[in-house]
Amino acid sequence: MENDFLQDPAMIQEFLTESEELLQGMDQDMITLESTPDDAELLNRIFRALHTIKGTSGFLNFEPVVRLGHRAEDVLNVLRRGELRLTRRITDALLAARDQLGQMLSDIRRGGLKTYDLDALLEELEAAQKPEGPPLRLGEILVAEGVIERQALESILQEQAAFPQGPKLGELLVRKGLASTAEVGNALASQTVGAAREVAAREGQTVRVDSAKLDELINLIGELVLERNRLNQLTRDLTSGRVAADALHPAFSLSAARLSFVTEELQTACLKTRMVPIDMVFRKFPRLVRDLAGSLQKEVELEVRGQSTEIDKTMVELLGDPLVHLVRNSLDHGLEMPDVRERHGKPRKGTIRLEARQEGDQIVISIADDGAGIDPERVLRKAVEKGLVTAERGRHLVQREILDFIFLPGFSTVEKVSNLSGRGVGMDVVRSNLKRMNGSIQLESNVNKGTTVLLQLPLTLAILQVLLVQVSEEIYALPLRLVLETSRVRKDEVHLVEGIEVLRLRGETLPLLRLRKMFATGADVNGSGGENVVVLTIGEKRVALMVDRLIGQESTVIKPLGSYLHNCVSIAGATVGGDGRVRLVLDPAGLLASAQGLTVRETVQ
Amino acid sequence: MESQAKAREAPSGAASLHGADLRHRDLLQLVSFHVGGEEFCLDILRVQEIIRIQALTRVPNSPDFVEGVINLRGKVIPVIALRKRFGLEALAHDRQTRIVVSEVKGTVLGFIVDSVSEVLRIPADTVEPPPRLGKVGREYVSGVGKLDSRLLILLDVDRMLSDSEDGIAGPNSQA
Repeated sequence: MENDFLQDPAMIQEFLTESEELLQGMDQDMITLESTPDDAELLNRIFRALHTIKGTSGFLNFEPVVRLGHRAEDVLNVLRRGELRLTRRITDALLAARDQLGQMLSDIRRGGLKTYDLDALLEELEAAQKPEGPPLRLGEILVAEGVIERQALESILQEQAAFPQGPKLGELLVRKGLASTAEVGNALASQTVGAAREVAAREGQTVRVDSAKLDELINLIGELVLERNRLNQLTRDLTSGRVAADALHPAFSLSAARLSFVTEELQTACLKTRMVPIDMVFRKFPRLVRDLAGSLQKEVELEVRGQSTEIDKTMVELLGDPLVHLVRNSLDHGLEMPDVRERHGKPRKGTIRLEARQEGDQIVISIADDGAGIDPERVLRKAVEKGLVTAERGRHLVQREILDFIFLPGFSTVEKVSNLSGRGVGMDVVRSNLKRMNGSIQLESNVNKGTTVLLQLPLTLAILQVLLVQVSEEIYALPLRLVLETSRVRKDEVHLVEGIEVLRLRGETLPLLRLRKMFATGADVNGSGGENVVVLTIGEKRVALMVDRLIGQESTVIKPLGSYLHNCVSIAGATVGGDGRVRLVLDPAGLLASAQGLTVRETVQ
Repeated sequence: MESQAKAREAPSGAASLHGADLRHRDLLQLVSFHVGGEEFCLDILRVQEIIRIQALTRVPNSPDFVEGVINLRGKVIPVIALRKRFGLEALAHDRQTRIVVSEVKGTVLGFIVDSVSEVLRIPADTVEPPPRLGKVGREYVSGVGKLDSRLLILLDVDRMLSDSEDGIAGPNSQA
């Protein structure tokens, strides 16, 4: 049955997009099902998702997908008929099958199916349906690794079976001195590694667009065409001289007004097609948290809020890794072990709250935990140890400045490196990823109360609010988001400190950059220019830019400057002004760096 | 290289040299333009379009031969002044000045030339390897062609870009 039609890339693409979405949904549904095993509707939904994937795979001749899908379907069928109640083992087996399916799909995306050894998984799916058997496979792993004897395992399992609400296997083993925490941790980690890897897999490049959004687009384009026809008619009237030019004036301005209205609407509608609910990012977290909490033997409740908040599709991809990292940090470093929590008078079960909301033209995402918090003294000690700051200067830093060290490359306060985090790569990558999205990150922490990480992101990457300024002959754009204020300064407010010009503004000292001087525009480098300054915020730093003239604000579409000029650090991109000329968008961080004689090539590898 | 191969029409049968009928020989189709008194050529398939000079936006701290950027139907492209690139004296732009737009290694670039003259066809076998002398660095010349008494310098824009990439070193590279 191998014909060209079945190899149609568009069709395979469609299949992949659909199946990946279904699998994502399945992930969450499975976790929910664990707490509400009798929810028939949920069970049916999972079944339907699997059935769809299996069906289409059969049609496209993806044989291994069909084989695995079919067996998983069998298990679900038994559950649907009520012949069996969901156990942790079944959930684990189904999730493993789901992961394997995800792997197959990403292999197809990357070129084609490989050969898979599905026997173990298929057997497990079969075996999981049998009511008896060890509740956890952790023991099996430890036996296989030779950490414990099978006999010892059996006796412990029996002991455990007598107290269903008692401690977990890993805990028992450690308590009895049969295995070390590290050994149990490793075994648990090996259970989750596969899952974590899959979670990191990329989303597809195609976007599904609500047909209502498309209708709106078509409607607006219709308006645009009408307006164009009208303008053409007016131009004909003007050139033929049949109507006096003066008489046409109102018609022209009316048409221009309508045109700008329709264009704006069209721009908004177009951007909306790229907007997807943030749930695309959030929905993998229940699974991630469940697996990680299990392997760390912590008790966690994940609260997810604001899933319907819409973000730009391109951000979904960029946001995934940083969020995984932050949630992992909360779980691994933030939340304490249940016993420790109890001693501190907290509920055994920790809470991680993942929340998204829209604030004006920004999206705010917060990751909050009620864990141990970050001890600023420990961070400072580490920073001094690593030579990031002298002990002397460290004494004068406020808590906020101290917490900032966490974002530096190679910084980690965790003495013991675990499998999950604490290897010193991470927070700096999180920060630079956010920078790429024009976003920022803030950290608030109280010892014993918990840590909250706030991410602020622009609503979309395509449109930028800018402040236009003039320097000599050129007009430059500054991202409005970074502008704190504009003001006029007097000469006596500018001081020289160690050869650097600084500006005193309401008791605060800011480095002053003269754009005229930096860009060496025109012969009049030191000319009076203007006393207009724009105060910008760059991370936690502030800087004042001296410009000749302030023009006003505008919303523009930002375009890349291209690879040829990528080394110009002070330029973030370009926009096209109303006169058709290119205007450069300045990157304040790059400006500051090049003023200080540094280059800010991020250490992102 | 692939595009050059396309430009040369495959010889079919015996080569005849009668009149303008040069089509049966290996031909190069070239766009010729002037920069500082010399006549340069670029393979026609490498030329995307030729536009009149327009308002340029200077890019601070870029190499001096990058004259600026322009808006080419919504796309922002860098424009290189060939005179400056070749170390020649700058010339005020006039009505003859043109920008030759070409795609070089996946990047669309504009090259400012004094004027564009014509599209030429020359037999590929009249192109000789570049001589050692000349105002233009030999490294950007892929060959020298002869047409009657005219001397045509065939530019190698690919090599020019890879060279100039080293030149764009950021803030300190400004002359």
